[in-house]
Amino acid sequence: MKYAFFPGCVSRGGCPELYPAALKVCERLGIELDEMVDASCTGAGVLQEKNKKLGDTLNARTMAIAERMGYDTIMVICSTCQGVMSRAKYTLDNDDTYRAEINALLAEEELVYTGNVQPKHLLWVLIEDVGLDKIREQVQQPLSGVKLAPFYGCYIVRPSDSLGFDENPERQTSLETLIELVGAETIDFAGKTRCCGFPILTINEKASVNMVANHTGDAKDLGADAMVTPCPLCHLNLDGYQPAAAKQRGKSISLPILHFPQMMGLAMGMSAKELGLQRHVIDTKPVQKKVGQV
Amino acid sequence: MYEHDVVVVGAGLAGMRAALAAAQQGADTAIITKVHPVRSHSNAAQGGINAALTDRGDDWEDHAYATVKGSDYLGDQDAIEVMAQEAGAAVIELEHMGVIFSRDETGHLGTRRFGGQERARTFFVADITGQAMLHVLYEQVMKENVRVYEEWFVTSLIMVDGECRGVVAMDIMSGKIEAIRAKSVILCTGGVGRAYEPSTNGLIVTGDGMGLAYPAGAALMDMEMIQYHPTTLKGNGVLITEAARGEGAYLLNSEGDRFMKTYAPNMLELASRDVVSRSEATEIQEGRGVDGCVFLDLRHLGRELIETKLSYINEVALDYMNINLADEPIPIQPGMHYIMGGIKTDVWGATPIPGLYAAGECACVSVHGGNRLGANSLLDTVVFGRRSGEAAAARALERPFGRVSEHAAYLDETRIISLLDRKDNGDSVAKVRLAMGETLNEHLAVFREEQGMQTAAKAIQQLKERYRYMPVKAKGKVFNTALVFALELGFMLDCAETICASGLTRKESRGAHYRTDMPTRDDENWLKHVTCTWSPDGPVVDTIPVTFTRWEPVERTY
Amino acid sequence: MQVKLAVKRFDPEREQDQSYVQDYTLDVPDHYTVLDALIQTREEVDESLAVRCSCRASICGSCAMRVNGHAGLGCKTKLLDSMDKDGVVQVEPMGNQPVVKDLVVDMSVFWNKIRAVKPYLQPEGPEPEREYVASNDSMLKLLQTMGCIMCGACVSDCTVLEVNENFLGPAALAKAYRFVGDPRDGATNQRFGELDEPGGMWDCTRCFECVEACPKGVAPMDQIMNLREEAAAAGFTSTIGARHAEIFADTVKHSGWLDELQLAVKTPGMFNIGAQLHNMPVGIRAFLRGKLPPIVHKAIPSVRFVRRIFEKIEED
Repeated sequence: MKYAFFPGCVSRGGCPELYPAALKVCERLGIELDEMVDASCTGAGVLQEKNKKLGDTLNARTMAIAERMGYDTIMVICSTCQGVMSRAKYTLDNDDTYRAEINALLAEEELVYTGNVQPKHLLWVLIEDVGLDKIREQVQQPLSGVKLAPFYGCYIVRPSDSLGFDENPERQTSLETLIELVGAETIDFAGKTRCCGFPILTINEKASVNMVANHTGDAKDLGADAMVTPCPLCHLNLDGYQPAAAKQRGKSISLPILHFPQMMGLAMGMSAKELGLQRHVIDTKPVQKKVGQV
Repeated sequence: MYEHDVVVVGAGLAGMRAALAAAQQGADTAIITKVHPVRSHSNAAQGGINAALTDRGDDWEDHAYATVKGSDYLGDQDAIEVMAQEAGAAVIELEHMGVIFSRDETGHLGTRRFGGQERARTFFVADITGQAMLHVLYEQVMKENVRVYEEWFVTSLIMVDGECRGVVAMDIMSGKIEAIRAKSVILCTGGVGRAYEPSTNGLIVTGDGMGLAYPAGAALMDMEMIQYHPTTLKGNGVLITEAARGEGAYLLNSEGDRFMKTYAPNMLELASRDVVSRSEATEIQEGRGVDGCVFLDLRHLGRELIETKLSYINEVALDYMNINLADEPIPIQPGMHYIMGGIKTDVWGATPIPGLYAAGECACVSVHGGNRLGANSLLDTVVFGRRSGEAAAARALERPFGRVSEHAAYLDETRIISLLDRKDNGDSVAKVRLAMGETLNEHLAVFREEQGMQTAAKAIQQLKERYRYMPVKAKGKVFNTALVFALELGFMLDCAETICASGLTRKESRGAHYRTDMPTRDDENWLKHVTCTWSPDGPVVDTIPVTFTRWEPVERTY
Repeated sequence: MQVKLAVKRFDPEREQDQSYVQDYTLDVPDHYTVLDALIQTREEVDESLAVRCSCRASICGSCAMRVNGHAGLGCKTKLLDSMDKDGVVQVEPMGNQPVVKDLVVDMSVFWNKIRAVKPYLQPEGPEPEREYVASNDSMLKLLQTMGCIMCGACVSDCTVLEVNENFLGPAALAKAYRFVGDPRDGATNQRFGELDEPGGMWDCTRCFECVEACPKGVAPMDQIMNLREEAAAAGFTSTIGARHAEIFADTVKHSGWLDELQLAVKTPGMFNIGAQLHNMPVGIRAFLRGKLPPIVHKAIPSVRFVRRIFEKIEED
């Protein structure tokens, strides 16, 4: 099982704990990764605000590079990367004229976008390619008694037409599936597929923080010990701005936010340190304690 | 008491066009509408709006003649001339307001062909022309800040000394009943489709204006003329635009034959609607249909044309039949769609009742006579909407408010209280309406005959009797839709009664009124309109001659 | 088939328990939509159930509601696609708008926001005698935004409106783009200026909820992105949102990937001391945890190709 690997910017930038955690989990499960050093940023939807075509071209380029490397799948570890790349793919695959225009722009680098490469989040790779049985074998430290609130955010659930839900309906409950698989309990709450607020952080911090407050506060009120997300951008906001959210709410929240590979890693018996939990803004020790790591 | 110079009832195309015209004349104008303006059923008009634009070599007289012929010579020719002459300006005006009409290669307004006309003179916005126009007119209403009483249901006209001096209406949100005084009232409430079951019409199309005007003394004219649209979807009866045929779609029977060549060798699928619907019904009756349907075949038009020019019906076919129009013919059948008849008016929308005007489908000018041409209804709404708005404003601006009693709303208040007080006898609005709808659809449809119409008339009488005791089970004040439906049903039953009475009166076949027991047109005796006026004992039927200007009746073939 | 509608009801005239869920079990044909089932309920079971509806063919926009938590048109939502394994369908009124009764919401705020974008053509100069001449393509392009039926589904599910009632919202912004994109409209810059204000086009969080909810393919968020792109191209670049996109693009052009540090520092403006101080606690906390992006930002090896793509597209 080998993939072209697109780590994205944030897993090495604002959330440097994600990259090694994901790598360790992959290694344990026998997933080989061929990192795409030449790939650029997906644009994260921001570049697309300035120029959509630019964003589509960069993503076409990334997928074309993967094809040249001999892969049909790019593994990503960021929902935003997943969503933006999938959306670009959807647009390109459904518009021959546009695809030709974009390919003309890639010609200089001798790249061709064919549509044969698909981006695929580690979350989906685990369920669809690795398989639940194989993962179960690696669960050495079940997270029994831990209540986890799944937080998908936006890009891995919308727009649904470009995310392959018709062929793979299980994608829509993938986080819950893995939460149960590692022996934890799912805390379902209204905000799990809503926006974390990150994209409007610089524009309207109050509204952005309000979203953080709603989601983390609701999950906490429902008894969650931690929240799990497949998106490092959501993590940045839910973790980094949780103190501000608590202040806005007028009461403490203190809900640890786990990158989903960290949850997998904990269940596989990896140490909190290996998984970079000490780097989080919200103290993760209460969860660590529950799984017997402190 | 509220008061406005001009009150327009209904906010479809006719209503909003009327209100804009009245407001632009300087009259204090308000619209009263039982639904938000953009929910109005004008939305559902798909194919386009007819106009002969002279700058591209078209001639309004050709359009007028096609309309006269389409009406089976029952349309009043003076009114048809007005409509055809003013059509071009009306379309250009809509374009200036912002309607996104389709363009030709030169960037000018493009046209498509429509039924009953030799020439392509139908201007369109894909297959959502009604929606496009309705939203633009509402944009203009917002721009001009015309007052809109949204979700207010008019329960009666205020009549004093034979003059219309306003309306009584219920605010659906609160259940409060209020009198609204006006110098002129314009009824623009659309047709009465829900008196039939099934119908292409929305659930709100309940003949309110006709039901308001009729007991106030106005005449309902040409009520027997009910249009069955040739292409409505099997099952739920959703409309499939005539534009499909305008763009070249075929009608096929179960043997795969383009059967229209038998009935209309020249115009084929683009013969007038009464002719096409009748042909389909004949095919089905003679055993060349499938499950009561024939087929509309668009496959040869190609995916691109379908997706750009007919995208809405493509969506509808996919949603409700799971059929992709580019791949498969779609089963269709004639379905009740439009009423040519309505409140009798002159070419300025005026009824014989001082202060009362009507425009759009609820009115009968009569420009459609025995059969309306496709894409003439949108034209009718904007031309006569504007004219009635201007006339109503002119009347209002030259006089003070008439006296209206402080207790104008009292009668309706007590009527509604007693309606809500009725004991549950097991009957319901839905049951009565369904019985009415199925009765009309059985006996006053594409084919009619004496016995059936008698049966229907009797059945409607019985339903009116049931209506007197029919309970309304929801008792609340806030958004009590059951109460609204009960009031609407009263309007529809009155309309149904006049539909039957008019049908029984016309002893010939003309336009949509095709009697199997009297299958020929009788120009000798029946170049006249049937009118119904209210009396305590039921409709008083009369006739008035059709107005001719220049086109003598000849045999009608397509 | 049998279906159970779990309808969230609201009756302001009840003294207590104004809000409650009522189950209706019905026998219905397989092809029925949620609206068909609600109409059957209203006609045969419970006349007091309030729901707006008319055309039953997804054009009048009356029957937007939430089915299983997501907004859409009742008449376009098939029961078969909505039932859970027990045959239950959850039906609620739209979100972000006050409920009047049952599934009926008060849309006055919705319409006030539509009004706020001056939702009518504002031509430049006197009207031509005949029609405006415009290419068919330019008109066809507008059909997507014009196809909006003002049902409110996008507003119902907008995540920003949940936390910021000043946001114009997806429907109004899509409506604004309908005029910005119209070659006959002469007020584009004025519109951009107004949409540049707080609560305008930059307050969308790009969550795609509106794209998902819209039953007519208007894709409001895409139109908001079009507004941002075209406004920036027209020189409206001073808002934080526009600067953020600009700097984001610059850093990607420079190194091939995002330089978060640059983005964070430059977006509010290097000399915007207030904002920099305001952001400091978050920055310091992140720094102390080792969570800050790398100070030295290395370019990807093939960055020159990325730059070429930027140059070629920027030339157009």
